[in-house]
Amino acid sequence: MSDISSPTSRTGTWTRASGDMPRAVLVLAALVAALAPLGLNEYWRFVASMMLIYTLVTLGFNILLGYLGQLAFANVAFFGVGAYAATIAMNGGLNFIPGILVGGIGGGIAGFLVGIPALRIRNYQLAIVTLATGELLRWLYIHGGSITQGSSGLEVPPMTLAGLQITTEIGKYWVFLAFTILCLAVTRNLLRSSVGRAIVSVRESEAISLGLGMHAAGFRILAFVWSGALVGVAGGMYACLLGRITPESFGLTQLLVHFSMVMVGGLGSFVGSIFGALLLTAIPETLRNFPGLEEIVFSLLLILVLRFVPEGIGGFLGARISGLRDRFFGGKP
Amino acid sequence: MFAQLVASGLVQGSIYAVIALGMTVLFRSTGVVHFGYGAFFMAGAFAVYVFSQVVGMAFVLAFLAAVAVLVLVGMAFERVLVRPIVHGPHVTVAMMTVAMSYLLTGVARFFWGQEVLRMPPIVDVPPIFVGSIVLTAQDLLIIAGCMALVVAFFLFFARTKLGKLMQAASQVPRGAALVGINVPGFHMAMWGVVAGIAAVAGTLVAPVTMLYPDMGAHLLIKAFAAMTFGGFGNLGGAVLGGLLIGLAEQLAGFYISTALIDIFAYLVIIVVLIVLPNGILGKKEATRV
Repeated sequence: MSDISSPTSRTGTWTRASGDMPRAVLVLAALVAALAPLGLNEYWRFVASMMLIYTLVTLGFNILLGYLGQLAFANVAFFGVGAYAATIAMNGGLNFIPGILVGGIGGGIAGFLVGIPALRIRNYQLAIVTLATGELLRWLYIHGGSITQGSSGLEVPPMTLAGLQITTEIGKYWVFLAFTILCLAVTRNLLRSSVGRAIVSVRESEAISLGLGMHAAGFRILAFVWSGALVGVAGGMYACLLGRITPESFGLTQLLVHFSMVMVGGLGSFVGSIFGALLLTAIPETLRNFPGLEEIVFSLLLILVLRFVPEGIGGFLGARISGLRDRFFGGKP
Repeated sequence: MFAQLVASGLVQGSIYAVIALGMTVLFRSTGVVHFGYGAFFMAGAFAVYVFSQVVGMAFVLAFLAAVAVLVLVGMAFERVLVRPIVHGPHVTVAMMTVAMSYLLTGVARFFWGQEVLRMPPIVDVPPIFVGSIVLTAQDLLIIAGCMALVVAFFLFFARTKLGKLMQAASQVPRGAALVGINVPGFHMAMWGVVAGIAAVAGTLVAPVTMLYPDMGAHLLIKAFAAMTFGGFGNLGGAVLGGLLIGLAEQLAGFYISTALIDIFAYLVIIVVLIVLPNGILGKKEATRV
């Protein structure tokens, strides 16, 4: 039987960051992200906010799947915990900004709790335990009594900033953009620090990492906590955007969407996570009114990417544009 | 009441067992974990429905046609989608099977919408009473059909030359290829066979659960849980795991809380795997560094 100890490990040379994206390009990208939705209608501004949410979701998932190389499918659990924690905190009177942060803390704690058994369980066993965790949590939301209000879900209070209620889609979008840019910046720096290198070295060979004196278990847990926190923040944003959360938003379908975004974007690719989220949020939205067609187009796109560009959008672009190259993304899988 | 619960637990469990067995057989022979297997099951049930209710074929003919279609679908998937990427990372192949599942579910939803389709029972006889237990003919058919498939597979792998060849092809593909075994051909054949099993299971279950595009998804997790519970890649473990999960669900649902019926399997899995990471029948694997 072939080696399944590291499902995402790649051989090949690690690419050095031959040229970082110039700061001007990053500022320009942020400006475009801030101003582009002004040219869209209300509905597409809402979709643009969803894109931000899914960007964090995908990046968080990618930390576990791509950077740590673990088949951990608890992403939708982190997302749900973040959304419920943020909503419960906001219903308790907290403003939405600390509320979303509570979502991140909740997701981080969930990540910690899932990370502990993941030290012992690997591969497909980990996959099923994490899938089961997601389903278990969804069951808890349904049977949570007055705390989660069962299948009808929880109402989320409106977002207010300095006494003013944010009602427009563009206002919400800008708030989410601020959160997203902050999370992206911190994550990018974390992944490029010695911590990020340690996480990738645990993926490549746990034995060698241990031999070099790294605390492999600690870095594993850290990756889980960070992944959970990012996805938890996204969950809090999701609750604020929709105004109501229900258990069925955190089921298997949601997980498949997250998984597809990571794969289309490229395992272990930072920019790929962003592109994957943008693309796979936009495409289904245009087909929402045709039952079944959405899934067909979605799956065909996935099949084409997996078949012809298995390294994902991130890997494809990184091979051509040096500024988009990921330091820890080996050549072809 | 206990006997009745055990009986219905066994009916439910034998469905899990067959699906888990199909996934295990595919994993053992090709090394691929098929996350789209629930969709094959769904497609099998829909194919029987289309052939018998829409086209109007006799049931036996419709059943055979559905199995044949699924075998072809399984082989086509292997040839067109899996073979070109099978040497890539495992997670890419796993994702490809997920994409397959999406595609089949989408096709079913596109043509038959969200409505739940009714499938008439295969045999129309009144329920059978054994002491205090009530069993419908459909229940008995499910148990008998599933057990027949299980026995057939055990004999195939343990006793036939072809079964041994398949095991060789999965354990050392390169060595098997060197002694003249057509490894890709075997893989394609196995995809066909397990798709056929899914069609049989779908046919047996459809009259009980009725037909809807998402009917495979939850079954898939239960089956996945069953195979992990029993020990990943262990044929006997998959069957035992399936039966135990079916039983546990029914008993917990009655004696503890009906709300637990959906979730008990997951609780068991989480606890068992944290205590025994290799499942109840699994052997500890040594990792070569």
